[in-house]
Amino acid sequence: MAENANAGISKKRHFKINNTAILFIILAGMFIIASYVGRPFFFSKLNLIPMINNLSFIGVVAAVLTMVMVTGEIDFSIGGNIGLTACLTALLLERGLPGWLVVVIVLATGAAMGAFNGMVVTVIGVNSMIATIGTMFIWRGIGYTLTNGESILAMNPVIDYIGRGFVFKVIPFPIVLLVVVFTITYIVMHHSKWGRKIYAIGSNPLASFLSGINVKKVKFIGFLICGMTASLGGLILTSLTAVGMPQHGQGLELLIISSIILGGTVLGGGKGTILGTLAGVFILSVLYNFLTIMNIYYFYMQIVQGTILILIVSTYEMKQTMIRRRT
Amino acid sequence: MSNSNGIVLKMENITKTFPGVRALDNVSIDLHKGEVLGILGENGAGKSTLIKILAGNYIKDSGHIYIDGKELDIKGPAEAMVSGIRVIYQELNTIDNLTVTENIFVGEQIVKGPLKIVDWKAMTEQARALLDTLSVKLDPDAIVGDLSVSQKQVVEIAKAISKEAKIMVMDEPTAALSEEEIKSLFNIIKTLKKRGVSIIYISHRLKEVFEIVDRVIVLRDGKKVGVQKIQETDHGKLVALMVGRDIKDMYPKKEVEIGDMVMDVKNLSADGIDSISFELKKGEILGIFGLLGSGRTSLVKALFGANKIKSGQIFINGKRAVIKDPSTARDKRVGLVPLDRKAEGLALIMGVKENITLANIKDLGKSFLINRKKEKQRAEKWVDEVGIRTPSVDQEVNSLSGGNQQKVVLAKWLESGSQIIILNEPTRGIDVGAKIEIYRLIEDLCEKGSSIIMISSELPEILSIADRIITMNKGRFTGQYLRKEASEEKLLQKACL
Repeated sequence: MAENANAGISKKRHFKINNTAILFIILAGMFIIASYVGRPFFFSKLNLIPMINNLSFIGVVAAVLTMVMVTGEIDFSIGGNIGLTACLTALLLERGLPGWLVVVIVLATGAAMGAFNGMVVTVIGVNSMIATIGTMFIWRGIGYTLTNGESILAMNPVIDYIGRGFVFKVIPFPIVLLVVVFTITYIVMHHSKWGRKIYAIGSNPLASFLSGINVKKVKFIGFLICGMTASLGGLILTSLTAVGMPQHGQGLELLIISSIILGGTVLGGGKGTILGTLAGVFILSVLYNFLTIMNIYYFYMQIVQGTILILIVSTYEMKQTMIRRRT
Repeated sequence: MSNSNGIVLKMENITKTFPGVRALDNVSIDLHKGEVLGILGENGAGKSTLIKILAGNYIKDSGHIYIDGKELDIKGPAEAMVSGIRVIYQELNTIDNLTVTENIFVGEQIVKGPLKIVDWKAMTEQARALLDTLSVKLDPDAIVGDLSVSQKQVVEIAKAISKEAKIMVMDEPTAALSEEEIKSLFNIIKTLKKRGVSIIYISHRLKEVFEIVDRVIVLRDGKKVGVQKIQETDHGKLVALMVGRDIKDMYPKKEVEIGDMVMDVKNLSADGIDSISFELKKGEILGIFGLLGSGRTSLVKALFGANKIKSGQIFINGKRAVIKDPSTARDKRVGLVPLDRKAEGLALIMGVKENITLANIKDLGKSFLINRKKEKQRAEKWVDEVGIRTPSVDQEVNSLSGGNQQKVVLAKWLESGSQIIILNEPTRGIDVGAKIEIYRLIEDLCEKGSSIIMISSELPEILSIADRIITMNKGRFTGQYLRKEASEEKLLQKACL
């Protein structure tokens, strides 16, 4: 009888551990298929570096947005933030400001955008989905207004380096940023006191408040950092394309949120991991890249992307139901 | 039992295993037509599991269920419903922004004409008729959100009998009811009995069991340990069966020396309370007695900083304490075991250890990082001291029984070093064995120098545990007694002033 019971326990654990592991297995499978079917181009420098750059800039934003989503909130304004950041960067460079100063101003503006979201959500109490859909339009609208809807060249040694530079001549700088941001968010989420508060809030905000956790502060800071990181993403994108235009980052919020959900984060909060998000970002990026080099029409790519998202999240749900059945 | 035709429900050799526990072990019950069958048992005895299997929420591992002699394979709630099984859960499932009528007929609206337009008139009339058969006065057009808990319960009962109900299960139906409301619930149960409905009645309150139940089944650790006709048993026998040992003293009262004043509340006014003043001394258990809506929960919230204080002052250890939110309350070493532990006390999807350290995250390590080893040790220490029954400190709190969950909430405040612990109905929905353990814990805390404010609407409990009792009604204090002077009559009278 006892043996039976223990078998049940170990099975349940098995399930849990494997959620992220399964994602990485899928990813590995995709790599193998992509490198075989897409050979020799897939593993060429010409393909990998743009893919990694692209992936890095999405990943940086996704990692921080995961923190916001685990608290049970969401930020749709990241795409608009990226658009406005790109415009602002180009305009400031046009004025002749030094590159480093532009970076500082842009990141501060990003933080301010995040803080605004945080205020509307935590102080006024607007649902974060609504608040940030609102600011998504506002940020992009400001971008259009500032640039008159035009693209502006953004060239400057500092800015160029952010997206196209190499550390030690071989490692693309965006991937360094990715590694740094993921390491920090990983430690914060899974090993720090702050991270504990984030999970507690996502799991039960009222009980967290009644246990003396400053729920609003944690959420507010999450939004603030998310805004700042989105601006960092905007800087990378501006650098990669060498232009600032208000269309930058359009639709990206959905791609990024998809990767996070793909990685196992739950809308409503309390559940989600940084490694899962990393896997989610990789899966979608590799998929995109693979479909592109296979010359799959863009229209179909959209269908595939949506299908994959629903498929993977469906398996999460089915597993949940199976566990529930069992218990 | 000689007349097998009279048996409406037979559950035979039901077994259900969860990871780590055998929740039900070969349990068999039978239920006769028009009978009220009580099911008693401690935390984790298997009562809820049994009911959930009957209702189709859980699938049994083995065993058979017969309704009217025919075997029924219950695979989900729908099959249970079709067979006339209705469950009134402790957590009510009414929809607050709909009317009584809408709630009764939710999903089953009466329609007329080829366009299937909702027939409001017919529905309201039927709702009224249903409420009449239950002999309750309730406006079918009232918005359910405006009703009291007991009225909501009536709505659920009306909904349950709106379609033919053979078996009605009531899980802890009186947990949130006042004495008056319990009486009217019992009248409803008697009416249902007369109409031939069989009732399974789950409760921890033995007094009620004796009042309403015909026969009682006692479960312990997933096994059926006794079936008794109610006339042939008594309080002591049942408790002994439930706990598996004789309980001489349901309310263990230790005499603890009461020390200096630790908390002094002066003319406190806030939402729902009006100029409340009291003192709390070291080692004292101060009981606050009031019925639902007396302002007792508002008082708790104001003391803990969860509700804004309009005027008045709180002094802790002689110093003015401005408690503006729960975090300052915690820093002043005040802890709160809230009314609804699942909604207000626990992060259910997190582990035991995360919950125990929830109010004391800052002490989880010297730097900004969590020292997991230390966390585990501290959690294990409390699990041990408080007596939380869990396979490990990593176990999700969700899977613990109510009593053990409550101990986790208490351990959380002990871990954060609380000296004044406010308990809002600490034994609500918890059964005898776990209750006694909680009382012991409270007494031990006082012995170690903590002070307790205990809000309770259970008279025997407050009369035996509290050193001093304050009665409350309409947001004001209406009386104060030392334990020796207090009686049920006095408290009830003052609480209804």
